[in-house]
Amino acid sequence: MTLMTMIVKMTEGLSKTCAIFFLTLIFSLPLGMIIALLRMSKNKIVSNVTRFVISVLRGTPLMLQLLAVTYGPYYLFDFAVSKNKLIPVVIAFAINYAAYFSEIYRGGIESMPVGQYEAAEVLGYTKAQTFIRIILPQVIKRIMPSITNEVVTLVKDTSLAFTVSYQEMFTIGKQIANSQTSFTPFVVAGVFYFVFNAIVDFVMGKVEKRMDYYK
Amino acid sequence: MVLFEVNGVQKSFYEGRLHVLKDISLSVSEGEVVSIIGPSGSGKSTLLRCSTFLETMDAGEIKYMGETAAHNVNGKAVYVSPSELKKFKGYFGLVFQQFNLFPHYSVLKNLIDAPLNVQKRDREEVTAEALVLLEKMGLSDKAEAYPCQLSGGQQQRVAIARALAMKPGILFFDEPTSALDPELTGEVLKVIKQLAEENMTMVIVTHEMAFARAVSDRVIFMDGGVIVEQGDPEKVLVNPVEERTKQFLRNYQR
Amino acid sequence: MKKFTALLLAVFMIFALCACGGNSNTPEDEDTVTFVMGIDPEYPPFSYLGDDGEYTGFDVEVCKAVCDLLGWNFEIFGVNWDQKLIQLDADECDCVWAGMTLLDSMKEAGYVLSAPYYDSTQVILVKADSGIATADDLAGKTVAVQLGTSGEALLAEDGDLADWAATFKDLITCDSFLSCFSELGGGSVDAVFVDKPVAAAFVAENEGYVVIDENLGAEQYGIAFRSGDEELCKAVEDAVAQLVENGTYAKIAENYPDIVNNLIFLN
Repeated sequence: MTLMTMIVKMTEGLSKTCAIFFLTLIFSLPLGMIIALLRMSKNKIVSNVTRFVISVLRGTPLMLQLLAVTYGPYYLFDFAVSKNKLIPVVIAFAINYAAYFSEIYRGGIESMPVGQYEAAEVLGYTKAQTFIRIILPQVIKRIMPSITNEVVTLVKDTSLAFTVSYQEMFTIGKQIANSQTSFTPFVVAGVFYFVFNAIVDFVMGKVEKRMDYYK
Repeated sequence: MVLFEVNGVQKSFYEGRLHVLKDISLSVSEGEVVSIIGPSGSGKSTLLRCSTFLETMDAGEIKYMGETAAHNVNGKAVYVSPSELKKFKGYFGLVFQQFNLFPHYSVLKNLIDAPLNVQKRDREEVTAEALVLLEKMGLSDKAEAYPCQLSGGQQQRVAIARALAMKPGILFFDEPTSALDPELTGEVLKVIKQLAEENMTMVIVTHEMAFARAVSDRVIFMDGGVIVEQGDPEKVLVNPVEERTKQFLRNYQR
Repeated sequence: MKKFTALLLAVFMIFALCACGGNSNTPEDEDTVTFVMGIDPEYPPFSYLGDDGEYTGFDVEVCKAVCDLLGWNFEIFGVNWDQKLIQLDADECDCVWAGMTLLDSMKEAGYVLSAPYYDSTQVILVKADSGIATADDLAGKTVAVQLGTSGEALLAEDGDLADWAATFKDLITCDSFLSCFSELGGGSVDAVFVDKPVAAAFVAENEGYVVIDENLGAEQYGIAFRSGDEELCKAVEDAVAQLVENGTYAKIAENYPDIVNNLIFLN
């Protein structure tokens, strides 16, 4: 196989890698916030159940969760397995990453000085207004470096989708490598991931810089 | 006209083990400037925080503009509903020791955000008023600056302007100069003095005795959760009757 | 700069959308049966990615010919070999057909198995200068085997070759045979225990390696179907028989000289 064919073939897989990446972010970032709020709920049952769920999601391999989401419904309820593997893959990824994001959010929210809440309360802001207008923007700035970390990890984690035969870039690379007894596809994959993450770094750096106007 | 009144305020922390306020009563009339002094732990900040609903008192009564925000039922304080409480929050402003400006908002936005989003007032009108307030604070050129670019004294003046932008009937100050470097307290005190001259009703918790003497209509000395002595500044600060007051002032001058 | 960032995002989103839409390509005729062949896309010469980037291999070509003969739509699903039976159960493919060793455990679990079509033996792949000449020479050596293969099953504690495996210094399990070969090339293992055709293909392309064939752990390859699919199995078996008869089968086999001697229907 020529290097060109290899790259073309793997680039086809790259679109699926990108699909996992973007859809996971789109769903997990807001979902993480919901989980974080449940985790901080004053209701002890809600917060403890959420805490347990988070610890399961963070304490078991993503690969297992992928299998559970993809094939669990079939074994438990006899549901047909989705022909479009993107759906279970994104569900598993989004839930897993939401668990990590939720703890980052929680850390950020709990690090906010109480004076910000009190100032908002005295000025008559409602709880929702306080959170959305005053607390959240500052939290986002504080947690940006941790979020970037997770996003970079996500780029690399997309390769786990091979577990359920979703033909993303690394799965195809592995197939070429074993079919052609060649190490080159892994080098190509490495370059792809590196460039992808260089772009992620660049974009996240821009975002962080845009929030640099205050301390 | 009495703008603000509390009666029989009781407050304790740690399930009653620390009794901070023991039966405090106080009323403030329109245009009056009241300073509260006293050693730390005397309960003066807690009194301010109860008055501004940041703390919930155990027993007692709070009235603003003659309307009751909380009253006693069987010896326990009962507050009005949260939606009604919102109306009461419009009657007063509070300036914190630590300023508590919103760091992600520009100075102007700090001033106009609450009038726009809480009071739902007109943007042009609010902005025009905010610019006038900034001018009064000597901060006209800082409207677009962010709090982190300002000195402590400037930040506290912005905080005062932010409270005034809500057009409160009465303004509370919780040790407004305690977090400032000594050379910066003057500019903040000057602004408060100016407000006093304009007949703004104010309650100021402070350690600045000379300032309290110059600006107040009445000085209250608190210690151990009770009001020990109150009255004319000359009387309380220069010729106090109570031994505890004398002791405090002696310690203070050392 | 903002525009540049936006452009980058847009490009990625288009990529992402392509991937979403990519799965539902050919609208199928309701009357035509679609036969989804489950393959290991990493198992030459039976099933693998060819030079042109399309799936090919002996099994793939035979299956394609079967579908042509029966007028079925032919589709390929690349299974994750560790999960192949789960994926078969879950209806992701209609059979697993990729140089798969028939195991008693599959029959016990209720899968319908075709008649075997290939006699497989496991061989030992070593470096030519290693001094290892017989299976017994592996005593005290480190050996690699691929996860999920019949070779691994044979060497396992309850496997047929467990006693032999016990003489090894160490047995390492790799997740693909390329990893096995890389371990061998890099000197971290002394030998790889692997299916004969795979080893033969590797030796043909790489110098300095030899195969030791002592007819170890003879196994047979076949096709697995879901339980209850006896008719489907029969139809495929009959079609293969026809292909053998009309010479198509032998013609396909010509392209795969490494395995031709072990094909049951041709010998």
